[in-house]
Amino acid sequence: MKLPFANDRLSQAGTLVLLLLIALGVFAPLLPIGDPEAIGAGPRLSPPSTEFPLGTDNLGRPMMARIFEGILLTFVLSTIAVLIAGVVGAVIGMIAAYVHHVLDEVISRFADMLFSFPPVLLGLLVTTILAPGIQSAIAAIVLITLPAMVRVVRAATLEVARRDFVVVAEVVGASFGRRLFLHLFPNVAGVVAVQTAYSISLGMLIESALSFLGLGVQPPNASLGSLMREGATYLEIAPWLAFGPGAFLAAAILSVNLFGDGLRAVVDPLEPRPLQ
Amino acid sequence: MSLLARYVALRMASACLTLFGVAILIFASIHALPGSFEEVLVPQATQELRDQIAERYGLDKPIVEQFGLWLARAVQGDLGVSLITQEPVTAEFRRRLPVTAEIAGIATLIAIVIGVPLGILAGLSSHRRFVPGLSRLVGGLAMSVPDFVIGTVLLYYFSRYSLWLTVGDWVPFAEDPIANLRAALLPALSLSLLGIGLVMATARHATISILGQDFIMAAMARGKTPYTVVHQHVLRNAGIPVITILAIYSGYLLGGTIIVEMLFSVPGIGRYLIFGVLNRDYPVVQAGVLLAAAVFILLNMLADVLYAVLDPRLAGGRGQ
Repeated sequence: MKLPFANDRLSQAGTLVLLLLIALGVFAPLLPIGDPEAIGAGPRLSPPSTEFPLGTDNLGRPMMARIFEGILLTFVLSTIAVLIAGVVGAVIGMIAAYVHHVLDEVISRFADMLFSFPPVLLGLLVTTILAPGIQSAIAAIVLITLPAMVRVVRAATLEVARRDFVVVAEVVGASFGRRLFLHLFPNVAGVVAVQTAYSISLGMLIESALSFLGLGVQPPNASLGSLMREGATYLEIAPWLAFGPGAFLAAAILSVNLFGDGLRAVVDPLEPRPLQ
Repeated sequence: MSLLARYVALRMASACLTLFGVAILIFASIHALPGSFEEVLVPQATQELRDQIAERYGLDKPIVEQFGLWLARAVQGDLGVSLITQEPVTAEFRRRLPVTAEIAGIATLIAIVIGVPLGILAGLSSHRRFVPGLSRLVGGLAMSVPDFVIGTVLLYYFSRYSLWLTVGDWVPFAEDPIANLRAALLPALSLSLLGIGLVMATARHATISILGQDFIMAAMARGKTPYTVVHQHVLRNAGIPVITILAIYSGYLLGGTIIVEMLFSVPGIGRYLIFGVLNRDYPVVQAGVLLAAAVFILLNMLADVLYAVLDPRLAGGRGQ
C-alpha cells in the first residue's frame, strides 16, 4: 500500500505526530497518567519526575493528564469553529461566484472588511460583546477564518462556473441547489479541504492566544493556551507548568501545518508550494 | 494624470471605503447590546440614573446620529472618554503609541534582516540534498511556535539568569536609549519569530522561481558573477512577494504586540486595550480596534502602492 503524501517525508511525519496527539487527547482518560482533576494527587509544584513525567501544578494535579486534556479541547474548539466557517464560507463563496454581479460585489466587500481586522483584535471585539468563554473563542475563530475561506472558494468557483458541464446542467433544468452541490462543490472541495487545514492551525493559534490573555477558555475547562496562562503565574519557581503546554501547542500547530502542506500537494500538484 | 497617480488615488478611495465599512461594523456590534454602558458604569442603577447616563453619552439619540457623531469626532482625533478612568482615550493612545510602534518596528526589522538573507541562501542552495527539507522545517517551526510561547521561554531564561536584557521596567527612548532598547528587545524578539519564518519562506520561494527565469540564464551567460546576479536580479524581484508578506505580517503584529505587552509588562496600547476588554470599557475597545484596523488598511494600501512603484505594469493593469 502506498502511504499518503509520498515523497514528502516532512508531511508524513507531521501527519503522524498529528494523529498521535489526537490519540493522546482522546484516549487520555484510559492512560495511566492520573486524573487531571485530582487535586492533591501529588505534591504541589513538583518538578518532572518518574511518577509525574511533566510535573504537578499548584494544586498537585498531574500536568501530563491536564495537558492531554488540553490538547483535545484545543483541537476540538478550533475544528468545530473552522468546520462552521468552512461550510458557511463554501456556500457563500460559491453563491458569490456563481450568482455574480451585485451579490458578488456585496459579499466580496464584506469579506474585505472582515479581512481588514487584525486577527487577534477581531477576537478582542468579539469577547467584549459576548463575554470571555468558549463561545466567544469559537465565534472569533469563525469570523477570522471566514473571509479567507470565502475568497478562496469564490476564486475556485469562478474557474469552474462557466465550464460546459455546469452550463449543460443549467440548460437541462437542474435546480440551483443541485448545480451548486452536485456540479460546483465537488470541484472546489479540494481547495476547501486545504484551506480548512490551514484555518485549523490559525484557529488553534487564535484560541490559545485569547485563552492565554484570559479571554478564551475559562477554568475549570483547560486548553493548552489557558494552561500556559496558569503556568505563567509560577514561571519563576515552576517553569515546567508553562513550558509543557507550550511545547505541545507548538508541536500541534506545526503538525497541522505540515499536514496542510501535504494536502495541498495532493489537491494542487502543479502549484509550487510556498513552503517547499 | 499619470497611470501611477491614478492607481494611487483609486487605491486610497477603496481603502477609505473599507475603513468606513469597518467603522460601521465596530460601532454596530458594540451598540447592538442595549444598556451596555449603564451596565458597566452602575450595574444596579435606577431608571432615572440610567436615563441620565444615556443622555450624557448621547445614547438617547437615534443610532445613526450617534454613529455620525462618533465618526465625526474620531476623524478629528477625539476618540471619546474611557468609562472606567473618565480620561480621554486619545491622550492615552498618544502616550502609548510610540511604545507599541517601537516594538512592532524592531520586530519587523529583525524579520527582514534575518529572514531575507536566510531565505535567499536557502533558495540558492536548494539543489543540495538536505537544504529544502531543513529550510521548510525551520520556516515551519518559526511560523508554528506562538509568540507567547517563545516569549514565555525568553522571559524565564532572561529573568532567571539576569542576562543583559530587562523585563518589566520600561524606559522611554528619550530618557535613556540603551535602557529603552534593553527593555524593547525581548518583546520584539518574541514577535519577530513568525516574521522571520514568513519572510524566509517567501524569499526562498521567490528566489527559486526567479532562478528559473531566462534572464538569469542570460545574465550568467554574459559572465556575471553569482553575487552580481543576486544583487541585481534576485533581490529586486523578490521585493514584491516580501512586501506582500510583510503587509500580512503587520496584521499579526498588531495583535501580537497586545500579547507581548501583557507578558513583558510593557506600557503600550495593547495592555490598555486588554484592560478595556476585561472591564468592558466600550469606548476604549471601540477606539482601539478602529485604530488597529485603520493602521492595517493603511499598511496594506502602502504595500499595494509600493508594488506599483516596483512594478509599473501593476498600476496599469489594475487601474483600468
